[in-house]
Amino acid sequence: MTEWIAAPLLLAGSLLMLLAALGALRMPDLLMRMHATTKAGALGSGLIMLAAAVFFGSAEVWARVLAIIAFIMLTAPVAAHMIGRAGYFVGVPLWGRILRDDLKGRYHTDNHSLESPPEFSERRQHEERRGQ
Amino acid sequence: MGGFAWNILLALIWVAVSGNITGAGLLTGFILGYIILGLTLREVPVFSAYVRRVPKIFMFACYFAKELVRSNLRVAWDVVTPTHYMKPAVIAVPLDAKTEGEIALVANLISLTPGTLSLDVSTDRRALYLHVMYLDDLEETRAQIKQFEARVLELLR
Amino acid sequence: MLEIVIWLSFAILSLSLLLSFVRLLRGPSLPDRVVALELMASLTVGFIGVHAIASQRFAFLDVAMVLALTAFLAAVGFARFLEKRGIHADD
Repeated sequence: MTEWIAAPLLLAGSLLMLLAALGALRMPDLLMRMHATTKAGALGSGLIMLAAAVFFGSAEVWARVLAIIAFIMLTAPVAAHMIGRAGYFVGVPLWGRILRDDLKGRYHTDNHSLESPPEFSERRQHEERRGQ
Repeated sequence: MGGFAWNILLALIWVAVSGNITGAGLLTGFILGYIILGLTLREVPVFSAYVRRVPKIFMFACYFAKELVRSNLRVAWDVVTPTHYMKPAVIAVPLDAKTEGEIALVANLISLTPGTLSLDVSTDRRALYLHVMYLDDLEETRAQIKQFEARVLELLR
Repeated sequence: MLEIVIWLSFAILSLSLLLSFVRLLRGPSLPDRVVALELMASLTVGFIGVHAIASQRFAFLDVAMVLALTAFLAAVGFARFLEKRGIHADD
C-alpha cells in the first residue's frame, strides 16, 4: 500500500528537481534563476523526503523527515535573500526586459544599509497622525 | 505555546500506553490529545487560545501548500515552453510586521509563494523589497502581498 | 512499480545534476555559480533520499540532513564573502 503513495511522491519530487535545474539553466538573469531553484528545489527535495517517510513509516524516520523538511523550508528563502543581496552589491546585470527596479540606488555601499522608498515614510507618518 | 507542549505530552503518553511507536501512532495521540484539551480545559485561557489557533494553522498550511503547488506549475510552464512570458520587476512593499521574527516569517513565506522572492528589508524596517516574476498591475500585486501578510500576522498575534 | 520509479528518479536527478553543472560552468557571474552549487546540493539531498529508499536503510537520511545544513552554511558564507569583496574584474 505504502508503495503506491511513495512512488508518485518520488516521481513528482524528481520532476520538480528537473524543473529547478532547467530553470537554473534557461532563465535569463540571476534573480529569475533563484526563483526556479528556491521554490522548485525546496518543494522537490521535500517531496522526496516525504516519499522516504511514507516508505519507511516508522516514527523515527517521520521525525527526521519532518525536521529535514522544516529545515529546507526555513533555509532556502534565507539563502536566496543572501545571494540576491550579494548579487546586487557585486553588480550582477538584470534582464533587459525588467519592468521596474525599486532597489536601484537605495543601497548605501559604504555601510551596506538599505533605505525605504521616500513615499513609505510619508505613509507611515500619515497613519500615525491618523491613529492619534 | 504552553498548550502545544501539553498536547505533545499527551501524544507521547498515548504512544507509550498504546505501544504503537510509529508516525501514525503519534499523529493519533496528537489528535486525541487535542480533542481532550478542547473538551475539558476550554475555560483555561492558555488552552482556549491554543485550541482556537490549531485549526487556523492547519487551514493556513493547506492554503500554503496549494499556493506552493500553483507557483511551481506556473514557473514550470514558463521554464518548459520556449518563449518567456515573464514580466519581472523589483518592487517595494510597505511592511506591517514589526518584530524581527514576524518579518523573517513573512519574508520567508513570501519567497515560497507564487512568483515572488523576497530580496531584502530596508534598514528602518518599513519596506520589503521583492522580485516579482509576473507584474501585471503594481497596485494589485501589492494588495495581494498585503493580504498574504495579514493572513500570516493573524496566526502570530 | 516502486523499483521502476526509483530508477526513473535516479535518471531524472542525474540529468538535473548535469544541467546544473552546465550552469555552474557557464556562470556568467560568481553569484550564478553559487546558485548552481546550491541547487546541486539540494539535488544531492534528493539523491540521498532516493538511495535511502532503494537500499532500504534510513540511516542515509541523517547524511541528507547534514548535507542540507552544510550547503546552507556554504551559501551564506559565499554570499557574505561576495558582499564584502565587492566588484572585481575577474567575475
